[in-house]
Amino acid sequence: MKGPAIKRGLFVCVAGVLNFVTERIKEKTLHFLLKILLKSGMIRQEEAKMKKREAVFCSVLVFLLLTTFAWCQQAEIRILHVNDFHGFAEPYQPFGSDELLGGIPYLAARVDELRKEKPSLLLSAGDMIQGNNWANLFQGESVMEWMNEMRFDAMVVGNHEFDFGQEVLKKRISEARFPILGANVEGLDALKPYVIKELKGVKVALIGIVTEDVPISTLPLNVAGLRFSGPVETAEKYAGELRKKADVVVVLSHIGFPADRVLAEKVKGIDVIVGGHSHTKITKPVSLEKTLIVQAWEHGKALGVLDLLIKDGKVIGFEGHLEEIRPERGKEEKASLAIMKKYKDRVDAVLNERIAEAEVDLDGENVRKRETNLGNFIADIMRHASGADVTLINGGGIRTSIKKGEVRIKDVYSVLPFDNYIVAVKLTGKQIREALEHGVSAVEEGEGRFPQVSGLVFKYSPSEERGSRIKEISVAGRPIDLSGEYTVATNDFLAVGGDGYKAFGEAIKSSRDFSVVGGMMKGEKVVYSGSGRWLRDVVAEYIKERKRIAPKTEGRIVEIR
Amino acid sequence: MKVYVNRKSVDVLPGMTVKHALVSAGLFKEMESSKKVYDEWGNELGLDGALSGGMKIYIKSAHSQTPHSK
Repeated sequence: MKGPAIKRGLFVCVAGVLNFVTERIKEKTLHFLLKILLKSGMIRQEEAKMKKREAVFCSVLVFLLLTTFAWCQQAEIRILHVNDFHGFAEPYQPFGSDELLGGIPYLAARVDELRKEKPSLLLSAGDMIQGNNWANLFQGESVMEWMNEMRFDAMVVGNHEFDFGQEVLKKRISEARFPILGANVEGLDALKPYVIKELKGVKVALIGIVTEDVPISTLPLNVAGLRFSGPVETAEKYAGELRKKADVVVVLSHIGFPADRVLAEKVKGIDVIVGGHSHTKITKPVSLEKTLIVQAWEHGKALGVLDLLIKDGKVIGFEGHLEEIRPERGKEEKASLAIMKKYKDRVDAVLNERIAEAEVDLDGENVRKRETNLGNFIADIMRHASGADVTLINGGGIRTSIKKGEVRIKDVYSVLPFDNYIVAVKLTGKQIREALEHGVSAVEEGEGRFPQVSGLVFKYSPSEERGSRIKEISVAGRPIDLSGEYTVATNDFLAVGGDGYKAFGEAIKSSRDFSVVGGMMKGEKVVYSGSGRWLRDVVAEYIKERKRIAPKTEGRIVEIR
Repeated sequence: MKVYVNRKSVDVLPGMTVKHALVSAGLFKEMESSKKVYDEWGNELGLDGALSGGMKIYIKSAHSQTPHSK
């Protein structure tokens, strides 16, 4: 069956035809009997008319009762869903796109319209409170206020919900006027494994499952003391139990579409998986085994709509689609618009906040051709934050300068506008040398690959052939050991080979068995990955703590002429 | 963690995203020319979408056919 609307339409047609036929037969019979009674003088003309009206009324009543009885046998509910919102409250133009999408006032307006049509649940499949400034600058409080206003029914915790640490997460959970789920998370009591919602007599069980990779995708301290079980074993445990208590079993999943497919194939008893994490745009529900999988892309650019027809505790029909959210003047939902504007104003206020005094100009102009004090400063902060021996970053990642005087958060954000984070890997001395050779190989062209460093000093000759320009390197005051191993902090862009750097990629490639040991992620080569915290925020916080800054150039990069 | 971009294997860290895989494959700049990323089942992916080991993604023009239909 394609959908409930078709079935309902068929039923009404058949009932209508039957009723019409029955009514015609009854009308003929009644007409015949009344004629005999009138002719025999047993009743008068007025009485005959009244009897006819009574018969028509009874017929309509029978039809209504039949219809009502049929409706009592089945019910229709609607699931509205979003995932991976990441604080994108305002409409925006996605990279490579020429149109504006998303925006909570427009998403909310559509939710309101769809809710009026059917008994509905509004669900989130995680990663709501961390992402862009609208969320990050308030550690997700803005998002939670909006979700409460929207009357969300439940949400699964996503890996990025842990990015501000457990205390902040507990605060957000305490603010939420809806359950936040995490059946496979042990050690955080505020998370509930599941919840059962009732919609017009239909019991819907919602189980929350998050990726078990949380400990290796956020800072280890954020998940200290927590344990994450496998999605399949967790779903098996709860789906079986809840199948007996509910008509519909839904897994709110933040494990990504490929893992959702595995879940659907391996675990019996799940009717629907409402997914997130992989930011997948599933335009029509995917049906695998007896499970439907849906996911609504990302950033509130789409709203997922899934209608379920339920009979005798089983889903017997469905219709689902995604609705892309586009801003349209005059269509804003007022409460969400007010929340969006309120926090936008606060974002502007925070960005304008004076956090320190720069006692010197911070040079972001010459970062593609020589050592600068701003390059040193950022590289030092990264080394400090990751505990690495040295830092090597691309000058091109530093986009502008900061003038001597007041430093505001927006100045730091202008210097580091990209969503980059700190990664630290183990490199050999030889790999560091190769990385530096690559870094200075296009200094003539002023390319962004030119390095800014911390913890090491090197000399190079730009007049030499590319690949033979590095002359001396020392780490912590000693000549580099080419066969020795050093931990090197960089940003995630270089770590995956951005700007042509290969050394980090080689280290990642040769690294196996990522795990968390003693609160830190350990692979063979990867020692730090701070994906939940943007570099600009790390730098801004460091500056804020210092109050006065005066970084210098100190001969870390020496050009030999 | 190994993933595949247009059948080319690249290595990324856990927690990294579609964007990282494209950078690693040297294909990120192609996104500027209205191209989109799809998974092996033909679903479009956001650039911030999480990757999983062995995942196969494809960058292509928005109007071309995806490798497999659902």
